[in-house]
Amino acid sequence: MAKRVYTIDTNTPTAVADTVAIANGTYVGAFKGGSGTQRTLIDEIYLGGQAAASTPTLMQLARDSTVGVGAQSGGDDAALDPATAALAAIVGVGNSFVTSAPQRDAAAKLLHLDFNAFGGIVKWKSLAADRSDSPVLLGNTASFGEMSLSAFTGGTPGAIGAHVIYETL
Amino acid sequence: MIDHRNSPGLTEEQTHAAGLPPGAGQGLFEAPTSTCSHCQAIVVLNPNRLRDRSYCSKCDRYLCDNCGAVYGLTRECRSIFKQLDEAQEAGEKQSSNLLLLTRSGG
Repeated sequence: MAKRVYTIDTNTPTAVADTVAIANGTYVGAFKGGSGTQRTLIDEIYLGGQAAASTPTLMQLARDSTVGVGAQSGGDDAALDPATAALAAIVGVGNSFVTSAPQRDAAAKLLHLDFNAFGGIVKWKSLAADRSDSPVLLGNTASFGEMSLSAFTGGTPGAIGAHVIYETL
Repeated sequence: MIDHRNSPGLTEEQTHAAGLPPGAGQGLFEAPTSTCSHCQAIVVLNPNRLRDRSYCSKCDRYLCDNCGAVYGLTRECRSIFKQLDEAQEAGEKQSSNLLLLTRSGG
């Protein structure tokens, strides 16, 4: 298919422990498969600090042991190529769920993106030619079907802007 | 890449807790990463590491230390792609069952 980018202009995450509901608007984003068999690869994550004072921010990309339920909203999602055809079942992105919130899986952390949001920048990008290093989102049920980018306990999370590039196969 | 050139950065304690190599929380830190073939955890490769990295000869990929410890005990390859295939088959089976139910019900 084609690459898409999820962006969020500014968000101040709240530090949340694993397997605790991550409240709406208090995390950068959650990515949920559009169907029971849909497969999506995460290709790049960028976080740029916007805080006005020193704020160690312990961000984590992790699978969710409890997936969010309901329509998602928050942030923006766009195709990188304007000629991209819309998917029959779009990947769910955003940082709010209408019905219930996602919970981070304690045993399925994928990437630590710890940095100081006061002027700090952190970026991870898939570089393997066969893309074997890109985390895979499969289906739409726990734990393979949803990933979230949220702040772990510790630190004092500050405002950040972010983007995540992903591709549904 | 972690860029703290214009930031106070992280303390050594915070850097260590994040599983990053010493000094990674200050200035510009760039390092390759390796994605564990069994759990897909992305590991920042410590350029100063001397110990061998865990490796699965069955899927011919590197593993994170946790999966490497399990593999050392069981010698069982639990490649993520194997797990995803199983999950996908289960998902397909479920959706075809749903289709059958819908058809028989309708």
